Amino acid sequence: MSFLEVFQYTRQASLVHDLDPRSKMILAFTLAFISLLFLNIIPLIIILMTMIPLLVAAKSLQRWARSMKGMSYLLLFIVIFNTLLSTVSNPFSHSIALAIRLLALMTSFSIFFLTVHPDQLAQSLIQMRVRFEFAFAMSMAMRYVPTLGQEAYAIMDAQKARGVELDKGNILKRIRNIVPIIVPLIIVSIRRALSVAESMESRGFGASGNRTYMELLRFRRRDWAVMFVSLIVLIGSIYIRFFVPLPSWMLFQLPF
Amino acid sequence: MIIVEDVHYSYDGIYTALRGASLQIEKGERVAIMGTNGAGKTTLIKHMNGLLRPQVGRVIVDGVDAKFLSIAELSRTVGLVWQNPDHQLFLDSVKKEIEFGLKNLGFTPEAAEEQCVKTLQNLGLEGFAERSPFALSGGERKRVALATVLATEPQVLALDEPTIGQDAHQKELLARMLMDLNERGRTVIVVTHDVEFVIENFPRTIAMAEGRIVADGSTAAVLSNDDVLERCSLTPPQLTVAARALHRLFPQVSERLSLLSELEDVVSEILGGMT
Repeated sequence: MSFLEVFQYTRQASLVHDLDPRSKMILAFTLAFISLLFLNIIPLIIILMTMIPLLVAAKSLQRWARSMKGMSYLLLFIVIFNTLLSTVSNPFSHSIALAIRLLALMTSFSIFFLTVHPDQLAQSLIQMRVRFEFAFAMSMAMRYVPTLGQEAYAIMDAQKARGVELDKGNILKRIRNIVPIIVPLIIVSIRRALSVAESMESRGFGASGNRTYMELLRFRRRDWAVMFVSLIVLIGSIYIRFFVPLPSWMLFQLPF
Repeated sequence: MIIVEDVHYSYDGIYTALRGASLQIEKGERVAIMGTNGAGKTTLIKHMNGLLRPQVGRVIVDGVDAKFLSIAELSRTVGLVWQNPDHQLFLDSVKKEIEFGLKNLGFTPEAAEEQCVKTLQNLGLEGFAERSPFALSGGERKRVALATVLATEPQVLALDEPTIGQDAHQKELLARMLMDLNERGRTVIVVTHDVEFVIENFPRTIAMAEGRIVADGSTAAVLSNDDVLERCSLTPPQLTVAARALHRLFPQVSERLSLLSELEDVVSEILGGMT
């Protein structure tokens, strides 16, 4: 599960952390969109490579590399299954491209989630006219992800002590072993949701219709710059994809 | 017998929970482990059934190094009862819940059923067999979780905060049951902040702070040591407070009293036959 780390906010001082979440949102969507435009190995590698400097600027390259290492099994799995099941002419080449695309998609959103605090995300949604209740629900959901993770580990411990052998047996047995983990996890989450709701109500959540905010996000010049560059790149990529025939070296495919 | 030798453990290499803990618990003892939050108490008992493996040092259970045994094997000897019952209950009846662990540990269905009936009786949960664990109150769920472990009859029973959320009557029942198990030769280890519960029921106390064992000895001695109480942020037991108050007024009274009957004797002595 270590690959999820790349979606978890880390408190740091960096150029990217300092940007307005809204400009980063546009940046992330642009990168993700471009990754979806192309399905050849070389262009996708180029797209992925352009994200590396952003990760360096966010001081998160190491963390990213560690997560990607954790994800390598999943990628391997994707490549093998796609190669075996795909009906395109060069299945292996195609699967590799798909795997790189997944990496690029994850990386583009990780740049956002690594550098945006859940509260900032909520605030930016609110300033984009999303209703406060929804924005709040979303930031709460993010806030509880690590808690849920800890809970899952505690539950695994409790079940292991009762003789559940999570990493033994054939695949069917392993799938059945998920039940003693997932049921308590759901129950605990529901119980907590109820108690959080009660404690929120008892502290007057939603009592005043007109909320004011202590900290408002402000677009600065560099945010406009990021947004501007992102949009130019986005439009450029769409243009290249649909109106410019790619040179043959870019369409390179593995022979099988 | 459990031997813990100079065990160090740190979570993710960042947060160090144990910094060299050593102890020895004989068969048939009643031991309380006390200490501040984050002192490493839970981490320590998790080493006893193999959920955590020492990064430095070793754990020996019944003469065998724990590293050679799986969690399931160790759990047959050392039963852990968790603080939060919701972390383990997942089936739709109390009976199934109890039988689940038994079957995992190799009991036949018949033996599991027999064991289940017996355990429910012992815990006063007879009427609960067919009830859903999720429809029970917090205290009841806690007792069901305890039942799931007790049913496997482990040689060593380690309980994490068993008294939280239990009323005086339930606490009394719990204490009596633990005594009863202990008299039948079981080792009972309890992790708790409940000073009164310990002083009444546990002759030996191990006090922990910052991943180390700071005191290990008779409960009366450990819990009357101001330095230990301070370091482990424990409130002194009422008996000790009372004894000290009496000592200030009547110097002939000892500062250390560990039993209620001692206090009664002392008071009647002071009153000098006025009773």
